[in-house]
Amino acid sequence: MFQAAMKKHKQKVTLIGAVLLLLLPLVAIQPKVYLTLTIAGFAMGMLIFLVASGLSIIFGLLDVLNFAHGACFAWGAYVGFTTLNSLMDWVTSTSLVQNIAAFLIAVLAAFVAVAVLGILIERVIVRRVYGLHLFQILILFGTTIVLEELIRIVWGPNDEVMPVPFNFVGNWDIMDIIVLRYPIIAILIGVLVYGVTQFVLKKTRIGLIVRAGVENRDMVQAMGHNISLLFTSVFAVGAGLAALGGLAMALFSLQVYPGMGSQYLIFAFIVVIIGGLGSVTGSLVGALLVGLSYNYVAYLLPPAAVGVNILIMFVILLIKPTGLFAPGK
Amino acid sequence: MAELSPIRIFRGLESRKRFRSGGFFLKAGLLVLFLFAPFLFPSFKSIDLVMRIVIFATLVASFDILLGYTGIISFGHGMFFGIGAYSMGFLLSKYGSPTYLNMFLAFFIAVFVSILLALVISFLSLRVKAIFFAMITLALAEFSLILAMKLSRLSGGEDGISISLPGLFKVSSNFGHVLHLDITGRIAAYYFILLCCLILFLMMLRFTQSPFGRVLQSIRDNVQRAEALGYSTFIFQTVSITFGCIVAAIVGGLYAVWVGYINPESCLSTSIVLDILIMVIIGGMGTLYGGIIGAAFLQIAQTFLPDLQKLSQHLFPQASLLHTAMERWLLIFGILFILVVFFFPRGVLGSIQDYMMRRKAGKTLESG
Repeated sequence: MFQAAMKKHKQKVTLIGAVLLLLLPLVAIQPKVYLTLTIAGFAMGMLIFLVASGLSIIFGLLDVLNFAHGACFAWGAYVGFTTLNSLMDWVTSTSLVQNIAAFLIAVLAAFVAVAVLGILIERVIVRRVYGLHLFQILILFGTTIVLEELIRIVWGPNDEVMPVPFNFVGNWDIMDIIVLRYPIIAILIGVLVYGVTQFVLKKTRIGLIVRAGVENRDMVQAMGHNISLLFTSVFAVGAGLAALGGLAMALFSLQVYPGMGSQYLIFAFIVVIIGGLGSVTGSLVGALLVGLSYNYVAYLLPPAAVGVNILIMFVILLIKPTGLFAPGK
Repeated sequence: MAELSPIRIFRGLESRKRFRSGGFFLKAGLLVLFLFAPFLFPSFKSIDLVMRIVIFATLVASFDILLGYTGIISFGHGMFFGIGAYSMGFLLSKYGSPTYLNMFLAFFIAVFVSILLALVISFLSLRVKAIFFAMITLALAEFSLILAMKLSRLSGGEDGISISLPGLFKVSSNFGHVLHLDITGRIAAYYFILLCCLILFLMMLRFTQSPFGRVLQSIRDNVQRAEALGYSTFIFQTVSITFGCIVAAIVGGLYAVWVGYINPESCLSTSIVLDILIMVIIGGMGTLYGGIIGAAFLQIAQTFLPDLQKLSQHLFPQASLLHTAMERWLLIFGILFILVVFFFPRGVLGSIQDYMMRRKAGKTLESG
């Protein structure tokens, strides 16, 4: 009886549980701080989602764990950095339209540049090692070294200050609660990307083929679809999403540095393990979980912030080893 | 007498030839070289270089047990190395005193902690997919680095820990002259570490060539077939991973004894795993001895790179591209790494072994 009831109301129960979990930190944190942390957590979660979703889709379809994803992330941040620097007039102008235009151009530049990089990586490197997990990791690890060193050669080895469009800085004052602007924008970007990927995956023909490929690759190939082209484009889009994440994260943390990719790649790994490799929704849930818990714990007990993420990952691995939203295989 | 199986006959032939083959003389020569290195190259820099080669060769061999014999990539090998180094630092200096008992205890604790950790990681990750192991160990390694940096009151933070050593290994102790060489505490430590590394290396050789090791290799080559033969892949992989991690922890302790100073950057950062990976790929996966070649290559390269940079600046003052490339030597190693994985996936030693095998097969064909 109980189990039947559980099954019937599963969605409701999950939702209530999630809300309760979200409110849990209120026990130890003041409401105002809690709100700030929650927004920061959502923003961070959304930015990590951008990285993790690409990683997850690439793994789901290509069966490749893209270790070079962190390098794509850093490259995206640096391309955006250069673009915004060259559009300095628009970035510093007070006009909102010019700000947004500069931001969109930076996004486009980062996405396209890294998508091209992704095509190169897929065609030249990954193509030769399909089906060999060990060699994939080794070779993509080597690629990461090369890409990070190239960043150091092109942009120099030091941290740089990220130029942020004028209207993105500062905060809104809503009913005595100070809300930083950029985290809200970051959340909007994340929601937008999630919406678009869901739309493409669920409503379009290409999405249908990709989803079918995640379920059963050989069958899709047998049906006569050009799987090689599909692989390349999914890899490119995944890399582009990582670039978008890198740019958005650089605007969030106000800096770029060559090793930034490796750092966020670890978050992305934790997220895809929690959410289930191959699932976009799983990446979103996992990313929000990681972003929120990281911010709450970072406020209460700074050194344990990454630890709590790892703890969540271990718990998930114990109770559901394939992750929360693993696609059926 | 029971009939001998083909594999027994093959092994009998192998063991009879063992002391006459060229490989045996090469290994013996290498050992003699390591034994007399302090007398041959008495400068501090060169002894340090040889010792680093020995230490890293052992570390790479322990990594090879995971990568080459079990087919699993661990990005947490540096973490186990750091566990060994830090337990040595804690017990000899930060929370203890430099006595032999504490030194022994440090090894013991390092082994104990790494067994626990390796078991937990294996249990959590191997149930799902082997690649989860790489992801989880990467996350844990980063976490351990953050912990060591942030909990500076406990771990010494970025300042690290200077280690004082018990009597025999003290830099100041002197035991007289032998062949123009001052037998100082450094030399004593050199032979102690060399002996430990030799024992560890022999243990690893025994491990990989035991029936257990052969099952491991069969799992690495074909999981389904090994499972069909009735071997529990999970248990075999877990034991092998744990063994590799124990060796890494002990080597970490030895490294701390030799260097006398540890900090998160030198003992826990991912750059150690990077070095290990480059060494194992260049030397050859699944060979154990390849680690010596890889370690020698990378350590010598890193030692002489500054000189090489100066030389290139002196010789070609105009070639700025060359200087950038020399400064970013990791780029060159990265490209080399990718090329080796593509074209010589068995590394230097593996490729030589393949060549010898082919030549031998060709000879038997001709004569037969």
